[in-house]
Amino acid sequence: MEILAYTLISTGLIFFLGTTIGLLRFPDFYSRMHAAGKGDTLSTVVILLGCICIVSTQGDMSWLLGLKILLIINFIFIGSPTATHAMMDAGNKAGAEPWRKDSK
Amino acid sequence: MVLFALISLSIQNLMGAAIVFGAYSFMMCLIWAGMGAVDVAFTEAAVGAGVSTVFIVSTIYNTSATMRSRPGGMAFKFFIGVVVTLAGAFLLSALTDFPDWGDPNSPVNATVVPYYIENSIDDTHVPNLVTSVLADYRGFDTLLETTVVFIACIAIYSILRIETAKSKTDETEEGITSPPSYDPSDSLIVRQASRFMIPFMQLFALYVIAHGHYSPGGGFQGGVILGASLILLAISFDLKFLLRHWREKSLMLLVASGVFLYAAVGLACVFMGGNYLEYGILDSILPGDQAMARSHGILLVEIGVGITVMFSMVAIHINLASNGRFDRGL
Amino acid sequence: MVDSTAGSDTMENLIANFNYVIVVILMMIGLWAMLAQKNLIKKCIGMAIFQTGIILFFISIGAKNEAKVPILSKFVVENSSAIIVNDYANPLTQILMLTAIVVGVATLGVGLALAQKVYQQHSTFHEDEILENQRK
Repeated sequence: MEILAYTLISTGLIFFLGTTIGLLRFPDFYSRMHAAGKGDTLSTVVILLGCICIVSTQGDMSWLLGLKILLIINFIFIGSPTATHAMMDAGNKAGAEPWRKDSK
Repeated sequence: MVLFALISLSIQNLMGAAIVFGAYSFMMCLIWAGMGAVDVAFTEAAVGAGVSTVFIVSTIYNTSATMRSRPGGMAFKFFIGVVVTLAGAFLLSALTDFPDWGDPNSPVNATVVPYYIENSIDDTHVPNLVTSVLADYRGFDTLLETTVVFIACIAIYSILRIETAKSKTDETEEGITSPPSYDPSDSLIVRQASRFMIPFMQLFALYVIAHGHYSPGGGFQGGVILGASLILLAISFDLKFLLRHWREKSLMLLVASGVFLYAAVGLACVFMGGNYLEYGILDSILPGDQAMARSHGILLVEIGVGITVMFSMVAIHINLASNGRFDRGL
Repeated sequence: MVDSTAGSDTMENLIANFNYVIVVILMMIGLWAMLAQKNLIKKCIGMAIFQTGIILFFISIGAKNEAKVPILSKFVVENSSAIIVNDYANPLTQILMLTAIVVGVATLGVGLALAQKVYQQHSTFHEDEILENQRK
């Protein structure tokens, strides 16, 4: 059980690394938001799943704690992509232009 | 986190500075949680990383978002830097007298605190030591702190609020408020997601207030989360939508009623024959013995605090976001 | 203040008490921002940074080595003689800081409201331009 938890948490961290690299290297506002929104949500969910695995091995009534973490995962899963959508919409209205292959 | 602080101060764009300040607050919150201060970390996450950032952003929203940099003035900044470094060195000169990190025998940790740690569960039946000392042993502090939040709400009201009749004669109105470039009430996804999230946020906030005896939480944190749920309603829908449902008069009445509840609990203790805010005397009307009465008294007081903080945050946000005019807003 | 023969001793002391050094650095950054930055909003942010520095100071003197969170577990609640004082982080400083955070956000709100009112009168956040406008 603990090995599963460590695997999940390190996978989440690898996803986070990919997100950060994407945030720095992508050429355009929209693709950066794309990387940030997807990668951020996914890595947070995976890390919290690892936390559920850790928490279920210690203590009594730990299923309640696992349930609470599951609710947090639910909340983040709904909230974070909505925030990304709102930011992209704002960028669109403010006039950021998408990157085309032939322009600089 | 020193890096975050420096970046937050040096960014030209004020909106960026506000966001980096939110990141700095969040980093401080994590550090405090690592030191064992989970209640403080919870409050800082709710208040500093959440509501403070929203306040700064809604202040900037009505005004221009860029900082025009003036040439020169570097000499003044350098001079202030030297003065500040000297003050810092003066403060650090007492470094050798400070207790070491994590010393359990330092004067902070060894004189008054052991009484609280050992006896608070017997006196009040509340396992969360922070809540029991905050609302029972040091109840006066919390009462006056709630009053401070109330006064801040009134102060912001009196600074910013303009009646709409007067604002029609203000000829520089268009120059001051720029039209919003992004109107979130157009977006269906944001509206629906916030409609889904807000009831759960409020339920969680009520849970935080009620469970403050047994887990990190209590009145302030729950009140701020409740206020944040209403601010989310104002941001994702229109400000007028929030104002249609929560009228200005009822908002101000509810802010005052929280402080009133707190003070009334104290007065009820006086009427029953004890000192002010001595909840143990209430055991004849509340169920349980004296210690349980103190626990119930703490719960009542936390509810009062939560009510005041919630509506105060909402009122401050409304005032900041609409420049006092309550017509358009973030 | 610093003795040259005890130079290495001071260095050791500095590293052992580095949390106080960080606190003083944060406070000085906040103080510098309040004095030297020309923009009103940056001054408010500097005030908030100063406050979080103070809160860090109090929390760090209340932290103990390998201490638990100051919430008693169920086992300890049942037999209250099993409470060991040194196991728990200091709750008293945390309570004072809880008050400080909330008062801090109230003060930040009032500061921002004043800044907005000043903007309404002078339509700028920059301190030098406000002073020029007032002298006219």
